[in-house]
Amino acid sequence: MQGKDETRSAIPPKWPDKFLGWFCHEDHLEILRGDVYELYDERLGSMQKWQADLLFIIDILGLCRPFAFKKKSQNSTQIAMFKNYFKITYRNFIRQKVYSVLNISGLAIGLACSILIFIYINDELSFDKFHSKSDRIYRVLEKFESEGVGEHSASLPFPTGPALKNDFSRQVEHSVRFFNFQSPSLALANKAADKGFNESNIFFADSTFFNVFDFEMLAGDKETALNEPNSILITRSMVKKYFNDEDPLGKTLEFQGNQNLMVTGILEDAPKNAHFTFDFIVSFSSLKASFGGGYPTTWYWNPCWTYIVLEENTSPESLISQFPDFVDKYFPDFIKDDIELQLQPIEDIHLTSKLDYEIAANSDIKNVYIFGLVAVFILIIAAINFINLSTARANKRAKEVGVRKSLGSAKSQLVNQFIFESILLTFSALLIAVVLVVLVLPAFNGLTEKSVPISILLEPVFLLGLISAGLAIGLLSGFYPAFVLSSFKTVLVLKNGHLKTNGMNFRRVLVTTQFSISIMLIIGTFIVLKQLNFLQNKDAGFDDENVVLIPVIQSPMGQHYENFKTSALQSPHIKSMTAVEEIVGTKFQVGNYQFEGMEQSKPFPRFNVRHDFVSTMNIPLAAGRAYDQTIQTDDSLALVVNETLVESMGWESPEDAVGKRFNFRGELKGKVVGVVKDYNFASKHYPIAPLVITLNTRPGAFNLFIKYVAVKIEGDQIRPAIEDLEKAWLSVLPERPFDFFFLDDRINDAYKAEQKLSDVTLIFSGLAILVACLGLFGLATFSVEQRTKEIGVRKVLGINAGQIMYLLSKEFMILIGVAFLISIPLAYYSLNQWLEGFAFRVDIQIWPFIIAGLLAFLISSATVAFHALKASYINPVDTLKYE
Amino acid sequence: MKHTQLGEFEELVLLVVGSLLDNAYSISIKAELKEKTKRNPSIGALHSALSRLEKKGFISSHEGGATTERGGRRKRFYQITAFGRKALDQSYELRSSLYHTLPKISYAGKG
Repeated sequence: MQGKDETRSAIPPKWPDKFLGWFCHEDHLEILRGDVYELYDERLGSMQKWQADLLFIIDILGLCRPFAFKKKSQNSTQIAMFKNYFKITYRNFIRQKVYSVLNISGLAIGLACSILIFIYINDELSFDKFHSKSDRIYRVLEKFESEGVGEHSASLPFPTGPALKNDFSRQVEHSVRFFNFQSPSLALANKAADKGFNESNIFFADSTFFNVFDFEMLAGDKETALNEPNSILITRSMVKKYFNDEDPLGKTLEFQGNQNLMVTGILEDAPKNAHFTFDFIVSFSSLKASFGGGYPTTWYWNPCWTYIVLEENTSPESLISQFPDFVDKYFPDFIKDDIELQLQPIEDIHLTSKLDYEIAANSDIKNVYIFGLVAVFILIIAAINFINLSTARANKRAKEVGVRKSLGSAKSQLVNQFIFESILLTFSALLIAVVLVVLVLPAFNGLTEKSVPISILLEPVFLLGLISAGLAIGLLSGFYPAFVLSSFKTVLVLKNGHLKTNGMNFRRVLVTTQFSISIMLIIGTFIVLKQLNFLQNKDAGFDDENVVLIPVIQSPMGQHYENFKTSALQSPHIKSMTAVEEIVGTKFQVGNYQFEGMEQSKPFPRFNVRHDFVSTMNIPLAAGRAYDQTIQTDDSLALVVNETLVESMGWESPEDAVGKRFNFRGELKGKVVGVVKDYNFASKHYPIAPLVITLNTRPGAFNLFIKYVAVKIEGDQIRPAIEDLEKAWLSVLPERPFDFFFLDDRINDAYKAEQKLSDVTLIFSGLAILVACLGLFGLATFSVEQRTKEIGVRKVLGINAGQIMYLLSKEFMILIGVAFLISIPLAYYSLNQWLEGFAFRVDIQIWPFIIAGLLAFLISSATVAFHALKASYINPVDTLKYE
Repeated sequence: MKHTQLGEFEELVLLVVGSLLDNAYSISIKAELKEKTKRNPSIGALHSALSRLEKKGFISSHEGGATTERGGRRKRFYQITAFGRKALDQSYELRSSLYHTLPKISYAGKG
């Protein structure tokens, strides 16, 4: 395969080389440089690039030895001082192990969390930006609505793309269309190897595919690969799946059992940071076979995702301003007024687009903000720990500061020393954090469904970011302690041995901030979990349990449906069967209807079904009847609608609606026969809109309007029910693979963004609280140490353990109480903002607040109690005699 | 004479430099060490040892001509000096003389 040779010319990262040039003496530089590059090239042959990069860096760091250094005339006293600072830092670290470990581990966890979240956000923001023209690629959208009802579609009619290119040839450089029958899966088979699967990532695309998008091609010619009908490009992993890694070029794959496609190219696996991923790209002209020799010419049906590249220096507005005329020119009269075309930058799709008929569910920019906020919160908590523990510890260093001062140390020198210390500790924490990140990145990738490589940490932006973050945190958190410590009065310090604690008020503020943040995170986690639970489990108005969906689009099922149904229903485990246009509860299509009293037809959400839809999905009727197998005209002259439609038409009641007429072929001879209670036919992000449920019994409907057979099975007999279904399937369609999925699984896919959000917030707020508790633990240790003498005296005077506990925890409890009060309004406000985004949402109740408060209280009292208990065992003799 | 003492790693490097004759430069020494001793010294440690050996006068070095490998950068070749050779001989004699004083009896433990 091509592409293998590229690694030969790969170059290592630049900065270590520069670093080498910086520290290394000229006499050695050329030799050493040659050595590391030779080793690098040698390693590339046997390992991944990122591994070689890493070893390259390690090599160069390993060359930091005295023999190679420039013999600079350095200021030897300064070096000596730094050596001394280093030594003192080390000694302090060792002397106060508990503090130091708490300090560093808290910071390390905080940094690791932030790095992970940053990696996540970085990846989210990188979506669709790898195309060289990504700033000029736009997706064309169609808004087809009348008075707010209708659809906002990500896909367009077949002729739109070419017409845009043709009419606006000066502004539009290229256009490309995607089509996949709007089917969740299509069948492919390699007959020769007897391998057949239902594939979900097949797209038909215009031959201009590579003019718009930059996807890597491993074999074949980008210019011509999609020119001929019946050509197919497959990705590297699919070569493995269908051809066992043999050369597939020129071989054929059978599509849907009736069309042979020749492999004309191999693509690299589609990058995950794109709003669509593909396994197969089929030439668009192959579609002609499915539509009687040409492309559909209708401007009503809109199944093609259409992307255009604007010419350089063309503003999208200049094109949009001409869209009304374009709509007027092409779209049919009866919908013209309700159509608006729009452009959407491709880079915005992943984070902001929530349209009807998206290729796949997108993420949400809100999640990026929330994650970013959580990262900042955790960093703040960790940094506060650091500051608190350093200042609390300051007392222990008072004597050292006194001695240094009396020996002539300037204040600036002391500040330098403590900032140096803090930066040193921050960098050790950073090092640990990076190790943690490397360890958990695979798990994190699994959780967030990403594939970020570990090598991302070696990218210059990241390294620079890490180093500057370490410096910034070190400086910021070192500044205050340095300031406090260096301002001790020499004589006082030396005389007393220690000073009355400075900055206790400042510490109180910091601890309160920490706990406000932690409590807010706990409340937030509760509400997010509750909303997710609500979205996934709230009664949607139909029964999604134990419903099996079988994809049947473009299959010969149309001719065999009644046979299939009869034979399946003989099984005692299968309750009822219907067929539907889309996955119930996730998607709908739109059709034009004109009911009595309307001057012209309007678009309404529409759902094609077969008989028994209402009973299979267990949707209650509000009035009238469901479609009846015995009434022949139900197919055309009858409609079932939902309550919202009744309301929007201004009809008095569901009973009143039954019998209302609608226009069928120019005459008002159709009748509304039934009204169903409202159910969520789209995801709960959206309010319930008017809906028309229409019966479609034509066998040809299975080409387009009926995509799934829906089967209600006995809940405790799933396996036998599926076996019976498969038997029935094989009896009518022995040639086709039997494939199915459960409705409730698929419905929950619509809430993936929320699922991810709740997973991530749960984990990270847990860690944030852990870090905050580490800090509290440290502070409590300190405060107990401060008061050992006091406790000794009190013990002599007869205090008991409970009173000691009260004495020690009182102050922290007050702080947590204040934190609680501060966090309530903040949490309420921000969560309310978030919930506004859902049409169906939970109310913010009082109990998550109470639980969060209690939790914070319990965790912190447990932390403090440990120390209180230890303090109550103090032997007064030990503490009092020590002077 | 403290400076003529050979560290264990230094001795290995010195032996390898001697055995590689005209082709003793850092990478080939590293490869040879890896093959013969199964340890994989870092390039930094190796250069450090080479520079110590050179300072002690056990080896001498000269720069080779530029080739197309390593991006046209030159290599530094090392040769063992007569002094180095003598040090190796002494070390070998010392060890073998001590070795021969081992009593020929069997010891506890397997093989």
